[in-house]
Amino acid sequence: MKNLENIPVEQRRRTNPLAHVFDEFMAFCQSRSLFMLHYCTGCGAVELPPVMTSRFDGERLGISPMVSPRQADVLLVTGYVSVKTLKRVILTYEQMPAPKYVVGICSCTVNGGMYWQSYATAKKLSDYMPVDIYIAGCMPRPEAVISGMRDLMEKIRTGKADSWKDYFRNYDHYLGQQQRLFGPKWQTPTDIIGEAEHYGLITKNTRGEHTRLLEEHQKRLEPLEMRL
Amino acid sequence: MRPENYEAKRQPPSNEFELNFGPNHPGIEGNYAFRVKVSGDIVLEGKADAGYLHRGFEKLMENRLWIQNIAITPRICVPDPVPMEVIYCLSVEDLCGQEVPARAQWLRVLQMEMSRFAAYLFYFGGLGSTNGMYTPHYWGMADRDLILDLFEELCGGRVYHIYNIPGGVRRDIPDGWLERVSSTFDYLESRLKDYDDLVFRNQVFIRRTRGIGVLNQQEALELGVTGPNLRACGLPFDVRRDDPYLVYDQLDFDLPTEDAGDNLARALVRRADLFEILRIIRQVIKALPDIDGPIRAPIPNPLAWNVPAGETYQRVESSKGELAWYVVSDGGDKPYRAHVRGPSQTHAVQVLEHLAKGARLEDIAQIMFSLDACPPEVDR
Ligand code: SF4
Repeated sequence: MKNLENIPVEQRRRTNPLAHVFDEFMAFCQSRSLFMLHYCTGCGAVELPPVMTSRFDGERLGISPMVSPRQADVLLVTGYVSVKTLKRVILTYEQMPAPKYVVGICSCTVNGGMYWQSYATAKKLSDYMPVDIYIAGCMPRPEAVISGMRDLMEKIRTGKADSWKDYFRNYDHYLGQQQRLFGPKWQTPTDIIGEAEHYGLITKNTRGEHTRLLEEHQKRLEPLEMRL
Repeated sequence: MRPENYEAKRQPPSNEFELNFGPNHPGIEGNYAFRVKVSGDIVLEGKADAGYLHRGFEKLMENRLWIQNIAITPRICVPDPVPMEVIYCLSVEDLCGQEVPARAQWLRVLQMEMSRFAAYLFYFGGLGSTNGMYTPHYWGMADRDLILDLFEELCGGRVYHIYNIPGGVRRDIPDGWLERVSSTFDYLESRLKDYDDLVFRNQVFIRRTRGIGVLNQQEALELGVTGPNLRACGLPFDVRRDDPYLVYDQLDFDLPTEDAGDNLARALVRRADLFEILRIIRQVIKALPDIDGPIRAPIPNPLAWNVPAGETYQRVESSKGELAWYVVSDGGDKPYRAHVRGPSQTHAVQVLEHLAKGARLEDIAQIMFSLDACPPEVDR
């Protein structure tokens, strides 16, 4: 038997006539059980507990909080991301397994919101990672969050929520934006290009000058050390 | 992850480990990190790592008009936003020498107490979850939503209600609102018995929290602890009573205290506070209809409003402790400097580091929640 893992996804679909039925079924299943990562990045996070608890109850839609990025599907960026947070958000995003979606809650993720002139916050989230759904408002009501999540579910079901493929296809662009903010020596320990190869998503924009710069600087991370 | 990037540092054999709590961790309030060094499950040393929510708040305020700044003040402390608006207004009024109409003052007191009640419900939820009890979280959130509905009716916003402006409040209360406030708080009072059964008389909760994170009076004073955390050490100090602002000197309320200074005492002080808040709210509801008059003193054209030069230091009691602002004006249309002295700065950094020493690893999250610090206020 051939090892299915090694055949790129596109080819697999062509050879197996039942594959698209299976894919649709998978997409339906994925849209009905979204685990969202519990990372409270900004002040919008205060409206998330009401979404999940007794009154608005997101769990009836299959949305429930998850504590670790490895088991989560949705990364909620709830509000302004300062530069220090953005590094962690990107690292968290890269750690999530592949069909992953990003929801930008709050006006601050759209264009900087009321901190557009602040020296410490990153203004536009989609510069640094691909975003599926934006929910505007300062802060959005729980109903708005739930309606945004329903839009996301619909997008996943119809197979349109593929922003995570964007990240692999245009990795050089995103890395360039990140390096512009964090300096040319910025690196995460994740091997994005290797993952892109795994999913068969390498395009001519995956590798470029920024990834070359990254490889130049790529060295072993210093052993994790705590400075107390 | 590239495996070659992970290589354990060669070190002499030791039983000490270093552990990073947060910023993405369910046991952390908000976006905040705490690094601990443990031996076994005893914490030897802890180090707070704040700054994930820093957005240059004090600098932002220098670039905005006096009236524009009201919109960003509540963002400093998210669970309890009203004291931030009120204290900014008090500072500007003090600089201008403005008199606030009596009705506006009573309305401000009412809002502040409602917001305090909501913040405490949030706190009980968090404290319950760190002990593995999720029901208080669900109940607290649902009950807090009733208060947010009242706020929404009053000013349109659930959490950020830009309701206070220098000189008074934005608009008068809607018809029949006071009755709804009164009936909501009657309902909330009837719920308190359930909270007692669920949390405060629960043996699991008591055994988990008694004697943990003990702060004695001397240390509390040296570390700058304020608010309910200070009252849990047996010192009845409260800005509302000892340096009254607004109309608190006409109200009748007590300051509950506890002597133990541990996590249980901090929870019980807040639990006892709920009764005092209910008392204050009832007094305000009784007094408010008799106080007629304007809700706002006239202010000059807000777009060209030059506040007289001077400086002021105002303080109020928020649900976290003593909150103070230092505002300087150079006579222009923008603040020259605004500084926030929040209660969480000491609670989340110095006090937490102090209490973490020698605590068990599983109690760190609980100590952190019981201090009720607010990370956005630490970072500003
Ligand atoms: S949009 Fe408003 S509520 Fe959301 S993070 Fe920004 S300031 Fe906070």
